[in-house]
Amino acid sequence: MSAVIQSAPPRRERSFAIGWADAGPFIALAALLVIGFLINPDFLSATNLSNVITRSAFIAIIAVGATFVISSGGLDLSVGSMAAFITGVTIMFMNGMVPHLGTWSVPAGMAIALFAGIACGLLNGLIVTVGKIEPFIATLGTMGIFRALITYLSDGGTIPIDRSLREVYRPVYFGTVTGIPIPILISLAVAAIGSFILYKTKYGRKCAAVGANADVARYSGISIIKTRTIAYLIQGACVAIAAICYVPRLGAATPTTGVLWELQVITAVVIGGTALRGGKGHIWGTVAGAVILELIANLMVLSDFVSEYLVAAVQGVIIIIAMLIQRFSK
Amino acid sequence: MTRNKWIAAAALGALLVAGQASAADKKVVAVSIPAADHGWTAGVVYHAQAAAKEINAAFPDVEVIVKTSPSATAQVSALEDLSAGRKLDALVILPQTSEELTMPVKAVKDSGAFITVVDRGLNDPAIQDLYVAGDNIAVGKNTAKFLVDKLGGKGNLVVLRGIPTVIDDERIKGFQDGIAGTDLKILDIQYANWNSDDAFKLMQDYLAKYPHIDAVWANDDDMLLGVLEAVKESGRTDIKFALGGNGMKDIVKKVIDGDAMTPVETPYPPSMIKTAIYMTVANLVGHAPVRGNVKLDAPLITKDNAAEFYFPDSPF
Amino acid sequence: MLRAEALSKQYGPVTVLDDVTLDVHAGEIHAIIGENGAGKSTLMRLISGYVHPSSGHLFVDGEPMHFSTPHQAQDAGIVLVHQEILLAEGLTVAENLFLGRELTRNGVVDDRTMRRIAAEKLGELGCRVSPNALVRDVALADRQLIQIGRALLDAHKLVIFDEPTAVLTGDEVERLLEIILRLKAQGIGVLYISHRLDEVQRLADRLTVLRDGKMVGTYPGRSLSQMDMAELMVGRELTALYPPRGNEARGAPMLRVRNATVPGYAEDISFTVHKGEVLGFAGMIGAGRTELFEGIVGLRPAHASVELDGAPVHIRSQREAIDAGIGYLTEDRKAKGLLLQERLAPNLTLSALGRFHPGLAMNKRRETDALEGAIQSYDIRVKNLKVNAGQLSGGNQQKLLLAKVLLTNPSVVIIDEPTRGIDIANKAQIYTFIRQLVGEGKACIVISSEMQELIGICDRILVMRQGRINGEVSGEAMTESNIALLATAEADVGRAALGGLS
Repeated sequence: MSAVIQSAPPRRERSFAIGWADAGPFIALAALLVIGFLINPDFLSATNLSNVITRSAFIAIIAVGATFVISSGGLDLSVGSMAAFITGVTIMFMNGMVPHLGTWSVPAGMAIALFAGIACGLLNGLIVTVGKIEPFIATLGTMGIFRALITYLSDGGTIPIDRSLREVYRPVYFGTVTGIPIPILISLAVAAIGSFILYKTKYGRKCAAVGANADVARYSGISIIKTRTIAYLIQGACVAIAAICYVPRLGAATPTTGVLWELQVITAVVIGGTALRGGKGHIWGTVAGAVILELIANLMVLSDFVSEYLVAAVQGVIIIIAMLIQRFSK
Repeated sequence: MTRNKWIAAAALGALLVAGQASAADKKVVAVSIPAADHGWTAGVVYHAQAAAKEINAAFPDVEVIVKTSPSATAQVSALEDLSAGRKLDALVILPQTSEELTMPVKAVKDSGAFITVVDRGLNDPAIQDLYVAGDNIAVGKNTAKFLVDKLGGKGNLVVLRGIPTVIDDERIKGFQDGIAGTDLKILDIQYANWNSDDAFKLMQDYLAKYPHIDAVWANDDDMLLGVLEAVKESGRTDIKFALGGNGMKDIVKKVIDGDAMTPVETPYPPSMIKTAIYMTVANLVGHAPVRGNVKLDAPLITKDNAAEFYFPDSPF
Repeated sequence: MLRAEALSKQYGPVTVLDDVTLDVHAGEIHAIIGENGAGKSTLMRLISGYVHPSSGHLFVDGEPMHFSTPHQAQDAGIVLVHQEILLAEGLTVAENLFLGRELTRNGVVDDRTMRRIAAEKLGELGCRVSPNALVRDVALADRQLIQIGRALLDAHKLVIFDEPTAVLTGDEVERLLEIILRLKAQGIGVLYISHRLDEVQRLADRLTVLRDGKMVGTYPGRSLSQMDMAELMVGRELTALYPPRGNEARGAPMLRVRNATVPGYAEDISFTVHKGEVLGFAGMIGAGRTELFEGIVGLRPAHASVELDGAPVHIRSQREAIDAGIGYLTEDRKAKGLLLQERLAPNLTLSALGRFHPGLAMNKRRETDALEGAIQSYDIRVKNLKVNAGQLSGGNQQKLLLAKVLLTNPSVVIIDEPTRGIDIANKAQIYTFIRQLVGEGKACIVISSEMQELIGICDRILVMRQGRINGEVSGEAMTESNIALLATAEADVGRAALGGLS
């Protein structure tokens, strides 16, 4: 039986081969850059591009986490309010520590932010996995909880960071290393670590398997509860990193911080090529998706074609076109 | 919540100390306002509670009850609860929406209460005995006049507006009227949702798009914070003024400190609720006639008068 | 009645069907057989209008026909009963039957008439589900009948069945074969595609063999033995379907299960499988065999005391079962066994990720080597290593699944329905692999609804009935009638009939 001759010897997989599906978001991104340049040459100026990409850093960082959650078959609507809540907690902690730690309260606050993010992610994860509540409903619930907590902590107003920390902390958003803004470097680092975990580790395989078909994963001896919970933990850590970059930008947390970020994050993930129903995640596509979203908003202001009343409509159309480019480039 | 309890306790204490005044003689003033969900409403809550505390202490025979509601429907329920247990002598209300609260307020009016409406009018102005509001048109107009004056009637402006509402429209209209007939030119005007983050991004985009900007006006101080950060970051020196509006304490502080870029401010102060409560109590206790419409002016806050508008303890 | 002349179909440079000519008379059953990929399904789709031929002609009742949609074929009286069950699970039986061609009265959907007709039609087919039941709640066999009912709702002269018995068992198959014979008696032409050569032998008046898209020939039915048919399909001489049993004496006990209970499915079951032994589990659908083993390997709540190679093991999850050395191949390879949208290597290594994870990262090189090894050892036929698991044929998927479970190096391998829906050449290979396994000193448990298969490869067969073990047969006593008796009759009746053989 085993003497059957194979019709053609199987070809070895080339590790650098990139499919069209992976290139989709980058094609859309390139198209957007060309259109932008034609509309207003200032669009491609170094300052403008650096501003826009820096601004997209928060969404990109959070969306890297969301790629894990969505890839594993979950969803997280709470990221925007979670970011606001972590920002608030971090600032209050830093302010409170100033008399004891001086400027060292900044790194201490960052550690607290990470801790808080992982704790919030764990909460979401356990409600979804152990509590067996639909991710949509569970995180809709925690979204309300985090939003109410930041409103409560701030008395509905703002929580500003202590003036003595302002200048120390400022470079984390506004500083550059060899000319590249620090938030861009941080988001690249987060995406690099994210893609390593998703594509190179055991956990990444499990994550995609659970999202693609939970039954197959279970029959293959993979714990669905553990895998999904870890995805939410990663999401929480990413939100915390985004919050750490966010604090120095305006130096305050308010009840309106991070409003609707969850939708931008989910949009970035989907534009990036990850299916909303789970399965294979596309980390770099997600990052491109986040930049695309921010570029569209930027382009709206830089062009004179669109009435201020119609901006949202045109943004919607561009997002749909970006998705279509992706679909047909497969 | 705890504050409300504290106020109730204080009122009770005042009652015991006063001794002579029986509960039946006490005049009840209910204050119904939106819950704090952003800077300005947080200011309203702060000032309403401050007024209640002061009045309850000063007038033993008046009881001011403050109730906050997160939505229009919650506010309707709150009105029913407030008027269910006792007879209200007066109601001070800042309605969440005009449409949904008109009939419930009329019901309170029919029970014989004195009605004071603040900021947002009801659909039927006949219901209110007293109407206290700020002047949104003046917010825009006075800022415009200042810029016309300081820039010598000539220059390039960019404007950030909030969310499509009457308040936003009125401010923009006042501003446009204010610069009409001068050589001040509005290069661009876009929505930034009264949100600092959105304003930061929009201002960065304005800076990328226009090589020369003389002045920026954000029609709300939350947005001004984002604008200032973007301008500071860009290192641009062409921008002479960046102005806001609403009377946020951080911006008033800048005026007091003599900031070069933000030397003036226009108030649309949340403290108007306090004005309204005091006037209502004056009607009840002092028999001072206050019926009518009171439009608080939006005078330019400058270094000279800024202290009057500065509330360091308020969240806004 | 139907004549297909010189039909060919090319997709790009690939010819999937080459110059096929056949005809079907009224009242005749014409079977089409061939290995997977031989072009059977393509031929059916050409005749029923789903695909256009690249060249060739179709004649119905002597008239040349050209179908550009399945609707036109239906109008000409040709209906296709699909292999996959294509029903909307959330709708009722009657709604599914009339989906897309609802009856209306005065512009309003006429549910009452549709329910009545549905009940009649299903009654004729011997299907007793309520027209109001949701398809989701209906058993697999009944769904197949509903699908047939749906096809027969239209006026028809020629009915094409594509693997209709793939998901059916025993009685259900019998019922379906009767239905087909009844169609023949009504003077309707039937084109019948099946892997099950015994069915073909019983039904077919004539049969056509396809191999690699080409016609091997048309033969009168009953003139060929099943072995002849298989050889025509494969194109070379086949040795026996079942490999010879080893002569070694049964080894030491490998897996001992005592008092296993899976609430609702199986009660108080004890058995032992030895090194070098293939133990079969027979029984009707619903006897609790699959559930029993899913319970034992930690996929469902169960109590059991399990000893592996003499040492007690406590299994609470599939992971613990795998780590202990018990591998389980699910019967449902498409939904529970393989990630169909994933490539082959991630599928192969999914249960044994730890072995490809020397440091922080997965070792892709090692994975590719493992895949190449598996392709070699299990003769998995793929165009290249980058195809998705879903693109493989059923037999190759099953071999991949087997390779995946064996990669965890189990000492006991439990295989649930080892050859469901795969062609005869692949079947024979899988039987060989099972024999090789036990030859290496592993123990193997085979759960199957095909009695022939169990008799062919097992050393011993346990028969389950209603959640309990109803008897055991081995050696000469392993016959279809003995097994069927134990699977259906009360325990003592069964044992009495076997005369103490068990």
